[in-house]
Amino acid sequence: MSKLRTIELDKTRELHVVGKSVSKPDAWEKAKGGSGYPVNFRLPRMLHAKLLRSPYAHARIVKIETSKAQRLRGVRAIITHKDVPKASFTPYYTSPPMALTLVRDLLVLDDRVRFVGDGVAAVAAETVEEAEEALDLIDVEYEQLPAVFDPEEAMKPGAPEIHQGVKNNAAISPVLSFGDVERGFEEAGSIFEGKYETPRVSTCYMEPRVCVTQYDDMGNLTVYSSIQAIFGLRQALSVGLGMPESRINVIKPPYIGGGFGGKLEMSFLEPVCSLLSIKTGRPVRMEYTRSEDFLSSSRHRIRMYLKTGVKKDGSFTARYCRSVLDAGAHATQAPVVIMVHGTFGFLGTYKCANRKWEGYCVYTNNVIGGGYRGYGAPQAAFAVESQIDEICEELKLDPIEMRLKNCHSQGDPHPEIPELNLSSYALRDCISEGATRLAWGQRSHPEGKSGMVRRGIGFACVPIWVSGGYGIPDVYEHSGAVVKVNPDGTVSLNTGVVDIGGGQNTAIMQIVAEELGVPFEAVKLTSSDTDNSPFDSGTHASRVTYAAGYAARLAAAEAKRKLLGVAGELLKADPADLEIENGDIYLRGTREKKTTVADVATAAHLPSVIITENGPQVTVSKKGTIMGAVSSAPPANPTPTAALFVEVEVDTETGEVRVLRAISTHDLGRAINPKAAEGQVEGGFVQGLGYALMEEMLFDQETGTCLTLDFLDYKIPTAMEVPRIESVLLEAVEETGPFGAKGIGEPPIIMPAPAIANAVYNAVGVRIRELPITPEKILKALGKL
Amino acid sequence: MNIREASVALAKRSGRAMIVAGGTMVHGLAARGLLGNIKTLIDLQNLGLSYVKSDPKGFRIGAMTTFDEVLNYKPVSKDIAYGALIDAVNLPPAQIRNMATLGGSVCSSTPFFDVPIALMALDADVRAKTSRRQRLIPLNRFFISSFETALKAGEIATEVILRKFPSRTASSLLKLETNANDLAILNVGTRITLDKQSRCIESRIVVGGGVGPVPVNSPSAERKLRRRVLDEDTISEASEATLEDVDPVSDFRGSADYRRAMCKVMTKRALKKALARVRGGM
Amino acid sequence: MALMTLRVNGEARDVSVQPHHSLLRVLREELGLLGSKRGCDTGGCGCCSVLVDDKVVYSCMVLAMSCVKKKITTVEGLQVNGALDPLQEAFVRAGAIQCGYCIPGFIMASKDLMRRRRFPSEKEIAQSIAGNLCRCTGYQKIIEAIEMAVSNSNGAG
Repeated sequence: MSKLRTIELDKTRELHVVGKSVSKPDAWEKAKGGSGYPVNFRLPRMLHAKLLRSPYAHARIVKIETSKAQRLRGVRAIITHKDVPKASFTPYYTSPPMALTLVRDLLVLDDRVRFVGDGVAAVAAETVEEAEEALDLIDVEYEQLPAVFDPEEAMKPGAPEIHQGVKNNAAISPVLSFGDVERGFEEAGSIFEGKYETPRVSTCYMEPRVCVTQYDDMGNLTVYSSIQAIFGLRQALSVGLGMPESRINVIKPPYIGGGFGGKLEMSFLEPVCSLLSIKTGRPVRMEYTRSEDFLSSSRHRIRMYLKTGVKKDGSFTARYCRSVLDAGAHATQAPVVIMVHGTFGFLGTYKCANRKWEGYCVYTNNVIGGGYRGYGAPQAAFAVESQIDEICEELKLDPIEMRLKNCHSQGDPHPEIPELNLSSYALRDCISEGATRLAWGQRSHPEGKSGMVRRGIGFACVPIWVSGGYGIPDVYEHSGAVVKVNPDGTVSLNTGVVDIGGGQNTAIMQIVAEELGVPFEAVKLTSSDTDNSPFDSGTHASRVTYAAGYAARLAAAEAKRKLLGVAGELLKADPADLEIENGDIYLRGTREKKTTVADVATAAHLPSVIITENGPQVTVSKKGTIMGAVSSAPPANPTPTAALFVEVEVDTETGEVRVLRAISTHDLGRAINPKAAEGQVEGGFVQGLGYALMEEMLFDQETGTCLTLDFLDYKIPTAMEVPRIESVLLEAVEETGPFGAKGIGEPPIIMPAPAIANAVYNAVGVRIRELPITPEKILKALGKL
Repeated sequence: MNIREASVALAKRSGRAMIVAGGTMVHGLAARGLLGNIKTLIDLQNLGLSYVKSDPKGFRIGAMTTFDEVLNYKPVSKDIAYGALIDAVNLPPAQIRNMATLGGSVCSSTPFFDVPIALMALDADVRAKTSRRQRLIPLNRFFISSFETALKAGEIATEVILRKFPSRTASSLLKLETNANDLAILNVGTRITLDKQSRCIESRIVVGGGVGPVPVNSPSAERKLRRRVLDEDTISEASEATLEDVDPVSDFRGSADYRRAMCKVMTKRALKKALARVRGGM
Repeated sequence: MALMTLRVNGEARDVSVQPHHSLLRVLREELGLLGSKRGCDTGGCGCCSVLVDDKVVYSCMVLAMSCVKKKITTVEGLQVNGALDPLQEAFVRAGAIQCGYCIPGFIMASKDLMRRRRFPSEKEIAQSIAGNLCRCTGYQKIIEAIEMAVSNSNGAG
């Protein structure tokens, strides 16, 4: 159960809706089955599409013959690389299409395939079965090409070239350097080096990717997709199809069945269905199989070489990291992932004058990757937070002390965004909270432990993160909302933010209700699409509460000003003397209810003159719909911080690891909805536990085929593998955030892998530097295999 | 339709027809494209094959009896002698327990299932019937290879026969898996019978999972237990001896080395579990 | 194609199915009962869980034709006179619903548990839902929801 602990709570304002664990309005519907998922969406006369995928990791399509398939009963259209626009694009969703930092290497369908599962052709037919049958009748002649699956092999001279002209298969290879690392190493008392590896893992959202597209006679495309960023999809489709954005409307689903970053970018299905809709004039639907979902997006594998110089007391003198990221066949989001990994995952984490990071974002003939909660930080944290513990073990330092010695402080300049300061920074409190609860002081060392089953405790932290994309180069960051006050006292909220399960829309509704002074139940979410809603950069980067909430609060404030303006006229009072609480309007400082929100909105709505029993009566002069419409960037990018303490049990005979207890403390500014925030902590922890102990996408080394394309072979945690998770929400108010809030979505998933690795070390004295930490690896390290 | 008709239908469409019992396999096979030539599904419901009957020789369990039904049949589920079977049917999630059948589990001949290992540890038999004949096939001769059983064309497994065991007999099954809804990396079924001096007079040790196309019996391990008290050393020796009979494979669930090490550990733990049952009950 | 009658949520419904069609497919495509869902293709995610003769099963693995004469209950059939089943209510109140895609499956598995056990332990609760995958919640609030429903049904609520 969570325990709300507050530091510096803003006592000038009593909160009525924010800070309450209101039930999400869509929860009732979901408990009954949930009609709003995109997978349920249907249109009349809809066709069904299926994608033919490459059986080879690297091949040229010499010939592709669709006539036999075309003649099959029920088949309405087939497209191949011959039918798609020829300009390369990226499906990345949150940068301007022509940004220099983007890598544009994708066509909707190409005459070359670069990974097993790459798109080759697509069929639209009356039924799914007919579409599948047609796939078998498409004749493709492939010329196989040499393939490479390891990114460091791919960088060597002579490796197969995966994209024309890309030297060493490195899509980008940024180097960021500060101070003088060489001198820093000379000044060091000790130098520590290590290689850390993380695997490909999959988001495993439960609702498959699915879309329905429709093209009308006026040339407008309407797209309904299980997507986390409707504006991002519109942009990607516009570029991929060569159509202006104004002719594409992406509809926001009421909610989607999970995303976690895996539904951020456009996949094959949206552009392919769009082209098939354009060709047939009919709606087209495609739903991915679970195998296709595994192939559509994944967290990139990153190999990290860390070299760190420290003084005897544990303070850093030099920090160096070389990261090699396996992008797979197309860059997609990898260039941004690797930058976030290098900056927020490595360079910005701790203070050190001399630091250098080299990143290699390398093409291979592996599956493509994409976004997954944490966006490069889980990989980095595994390395960084493990190594700090290794250093402490060697130098006999306390891991908490070493982190406190090197971490930032409140008020410090932001390590990655020059114009900002760290306006709220409660890492120390997060660490001390967990340390107390898990009795860190009584921790013993592995050497002294005995018995077949041994326990250990470990921790890791998130010392820097984001609440959105403000200040990050080439990343859109603005959001908007339209808030309308209705004559019945309800408030309509139009926001383009997609709710992927974390209660994103509920949080924004709470912020609007709080700002306006109406009950939560009065706020109604309207339908939304890219045509009628202000831009929102998407549900990602832990941004919704802070950045979208910020704009929504401003919109509500504008509506409130107008409402009070009308109320002032109605009451012959100064609007500054009025306040709203629970839908009622009072003279400030009194409990004398003067009127209601509904009455005021009605007054503004009524004709200027109405006929009453006493004759014509003039109503207020301020007429119109009372609304606020704001589109704005947030003012900053405050960092959430967090600390995770875990206790594990290791069976030294089987190597199995059980996590017994987890205490996750989060400096989140303000919990808009405490239960929802806890849900983020708990869910993120279990995803991280899977990353730490069992998840790994495996590939055939010869053919590149993925071997783990279903839940039989790709293991994610069940209810039997999870411990009791204690969440602590630390409210150290962030002044720039809506009611003090900053981000919460990603820190929970960044910490578990290193915390568990550190706890395993504390239990049995073995250091595993390659995820997942499997029983076999532990037994090998114990010398038992 | 009756069993005879089902058998005729099966024989006639040899290679193109498949028996469906609980149905838990059909879906997975179809999803992996392994149902290829199958054009006919023969559903064995309503043929009276769902029962557990006791007779002087032991118990006869109809092939269509679900795992859940076995669990609820107390004369079997409370008897430590059949502990291995109860462990096995208790392992999968409820959704599977409510549908999967003993017959289906055995006839799928899937090397990493648990029920076949348990039944082998219990020296169970399968009754196989055609329209004209029937025979008993001992479990240790039932599995020919992965997905291949000793059933001939048209033969349908109609029941599993559990022997009655002397008192002071207990069995157990342990499964090594990555998460709670997984195929076995390795599983071990053991059965022991102790005399009044606590010496082992009969045993059966069977290993399954990634140890080859069919479950493997370990007579070398059984020999180590014969006439000995099951102390720490004896159990250890028997566990070591399983490696004389078991030749595990390497796959992405585990290397052969790892499975070898686990074979020893799991055998030891399964024997201890059976021993604890002799001493203390289910 | 065969015409048959299924008893779903207390009603006799006529459907036309092919022998290899799963119950899930028939529920969704023929009967418009969208609460049971597809989350995988190999049986094990649990999103498709329904009750057949009050026992929870994976409807993706059950052949529709084998369900003739059986009592089928989906999440849509849990409400009584418009009132939510106590389990549904508990899942909402406990905050156990994030994206919610898996939730009907968990609710059906919990119904099966509550039929079998009046006072399930925490371990038994975890075991009863081991066949249902959730990626959003980490299971904690789901277990709390089931505990809440059990407690309420035993008069403690």
